[in-house]
Amino acid sequence: MSNIRSLLLTASASVLLAQTAAAQVSPDTLVVGLSADITTFEPAAVSSRDNANIVRHIFDTLFSIEGDGSVVPDLATNLAISEDGLAYTYTIEAGRTCHDGEPLTAEDVAYSFNRAKDPANAFTGNTPGFVFSSVGFVDAVAIDDLNVQINIAAPNTIAFGLLAEVYVHCKDSYEAMTLEQAATTPIGSGSYKLATWTPGSEVRLEKVNDPGTFQNIVYRIIPEASTRSAELMAGNVDIITNVAPDQIDAINASGTAAVQSIQGTRRMYVGFNLSEPFAAMPGGDAIQNPDVRRALQYAIDVPTICAQLLNFPCERATGIVNPQNANKSLAPYPFDPAKAEELLDAAGWPRLADGNRFTIRFQAGKGRYLNDENVVLAIAQYLSDVGLNVELDVMEWGSVYVPLIRERNVGPLFFLGSGGALWSPLYDMTDLAKVESGTNYTHWNDPRWFDRWTEISAAETPEAQRVIIDEMLKVFYDDGPWLHLYFQPDFYGVSGWLDWTARPDEKVYLFNAKLK
Amino acid sequence: MWTFIARRLLQSVIVILGVTLISFISLQMGGDPTYLFVSERASEEEIQMIREALGFDKPLHIQYLTYLGNVVQGDFGNSLSYRQPAMGIVLGALPATIELTLFSMFLAISLAIPFGVFAALYRGTAVDGGIMTLAMFGQSIPSFWMGIMMILFFGLYLGLFPISGHVPFLTPLFQGDFSTAFGNLPNAVYHLMMPAIAVGFYSLSRNARLVRSSMLEVLGQDFVRTARSKGISERAVVIHHALRNAWLPVVTMIGLEFGFLLGGVVVIETVFSWPGIGRLVFNAINQRDIPVVQASVIVLSVIFILLNLIVDLIYVRIDPRVKL
Repeated sequence: MSNIRSLLLTASASVLLAQTAAAQVSPDTLVVGLSADITTFEPAAVSSRDNANIVRHIFDTLFSIEGDGSVVPDLATNLAISEDGLAYTYTIEAGRTCHDGEPLTAEDVAYSFNRAKDPANAFTGNTPGFVFSSVGFVDAVAIDDLNVQINIAAPNTIAFGLLAEVYVHCKDSYEAMTLEQAATTPIGSGSYKLATWTPGSEVRLEKVNDPGTFQNIVYRIIPEASTRSAELMAGNVDIITNVAPDQIDAINASGTAAVQSIQGTRRMYVGFNLSEPFAAMPGGDAIQNPDVRRALQYAIDVPTICAQLLNFPCERATGIVNPQNANKSLAPYPFDPAKAEELLDAAGWPRLADGNRFTIRFQAGKGRYLNDENVVLAIAQYLSDVGLNVELDVMEWGSVYVPLIRERNVGPLFFLGSGGALWSPLYDMTDLAKVESGTNYTHWNDPRWFDRWTEISAAETPEAQRVIIDEMLKVFYDDGPWLHLYFQPDFYGVSGWLDWTARPDEKVYLFNAKLK
Repeated sequence: MWTFIARRLLQSVIVILGVTLISFISLQMGGDPTYLFVSERASEEEIQMIREALGFDKPLHIQYLTYLGNVVQGDFGNSLSYRQPAMGIVLGALPATIELTLFSMFLAISLAIPFGVFAALYRGTAVDGGIMTLAMFGQSIPSFWMGIMMILFFGLYLGLFPISGHVPFLTPLFQGDFSTAFGNLPNAVYHLMMPAIAVGFYSLSRNARLVRSSMLEVLGQDFVRTARSKGISERAVVIHHALRNAWLPVVTMIGLEFGFLLGGVVVIETVFSWPGIGRLVFNAINQRDIPVVQASVIVLSVIFILLNLIVDLIYVRIDPRVKL
């Protein structure tokens, strides 16, 4: 019996010791709960937002895009663009140092760009896969210690913003590393360096430079939303991302943390697939008519969807561009089912004997966007209410990804979200830069939109460019290929003792986070 | 016996080939994996370049045979997401899952046997009813729901256990870092408690029912009556005569369950942020990280085969009637 008693005592002591160890939270350490595993510290292979949010604390960039969309200097102190718009010459700040102790020079910047482009490395991250594809990157050349020239193939109105946030890394260290080593050993010049990484579990950063308030930042991978919320309410983490809408009230009532809800930049819409094969399908012929598409705008009660399903009072979108860059003369379409029916009648699609106007298939993926399945169900019901016989087809996101995103072969109606930005309306609009663009999922081909891109490039002043943009946005609003919905809200749980403000662009930067 | 073991190991090669082929074909059925590694704005030339760099441009049978050829030489390929050797990533995640599986099996078996025996001995009484009601709950409650409820009650409300996370024990142990391993042990067990109970409750319930029915069958047989008539104590009859004979179906079930748990604890690993192989495979499948999926399939297949072999050998040990 005494053996059993001592065993129990030992076990109890062990548990108490373990509890004490777990409860020790250092005030100079900030703990963040992320929803997704991160996979790499290779700057040219980073592609997911969670991965980028960590890596940005390790690597500097030429410029930095703020939460309000303004672009401010980071490594670069000056930018000169050649008259033909093909050469971007950056002057970088003197005195910057890499984590390996070497001074950071223009050669490191040029190396970072050229390394990402090198086909031998087969990088597939955001820099080579998205930025370089979008701007037509050619090469980067160090002119001297502090000046670097980046060359692109053709003038590009959004090259400045896209090139701004390429991660700059340190040549000497990376030349000495294999690709496998580079994936786990980041050497940058940012405020923090990697201390430890336990895949699937935790990333720990240590402060080495300014800016940055906390000495350590710990990222814990907590995939389950309710577990993240519980960790936040228990005081074990300070910030969590992707709070589930149904847990907002519980966190706010906890007394230890609160949820910051913010309208994000991701544009959610129902697309009208206007391609020829879909025009031959039931309902596909109806939506070829802009009057029908406009009628359907009145059929959806977007504010109610936001309030009931997203737990956020969002304003309905007026188009493809985020609100602060939108055409201010356009008002969101109101919910007016009677008007929708009237317009459908006038467009030649009256209700038939069975009460339906036409049948149409509506395809969507689930598990990708906030409460997406229920949002899709609600939209289908609203469309049914004005006489459409909606054949709803909700699939796993993995099943719909290739046909929707890669083959643009889903519809005639489909549900999708597209990442946006605040720093330029043109960034959002370049989804539809060309009829054949991979991101023109609707196959829309209205010349009143596509023919005007050359005018934008040729505009001599921002004001003149803005006039053209507004006219294009009006066309998109009236006759466009999207049934406008909302900008997806983002929810962050934040400890009561922390002073940190969430940004609308899904970037979780912690340089300025501090104790209250 | 050695002939039997050699024959089984040879058969296992065919099984492993089969599962790698099936998983390879399954992953390809979702479409060209290249698309997951290129931007939506990438041109056809860029897509083709990446396709060639990743090796997805070759015919499927060539891709598979190349993979097999490399595996024979010990090269399981590099993860497309982590850009690290796939087998290293899988083996890095395996100890966490083994810890969880072993601990949950330990809890399940150490409780299931006395529960099953008592339920059989006190058949039809309140003890039997209580245990079987508990077992019914255990088999009915989804483990993820139970995990979340435990987090809310024992983790958040009572603060008795950590809500999530993992403290490694086996990894430093395998690396020969014994001081770290045993220094971590109390905290590792503390973090294991809730996930292990959530995982093991179903096994506990099923095995308790199995032990009960097996014991009831054995307790009614002639040799038990003979043992009792010889004046042997009831305790000795139960432990040395009845329970030993009731073991056979339980051993089979435990062996199979261990294998299933190794690959099937993905939900609990997700709920408790446990960095194990289940979560790794789940993410790898979503990202079409084929080398990681294939390496995981091979590792899990080998473990499953070895477990079956061990169960067969234990059978021989505990039942002299069984010949190999």
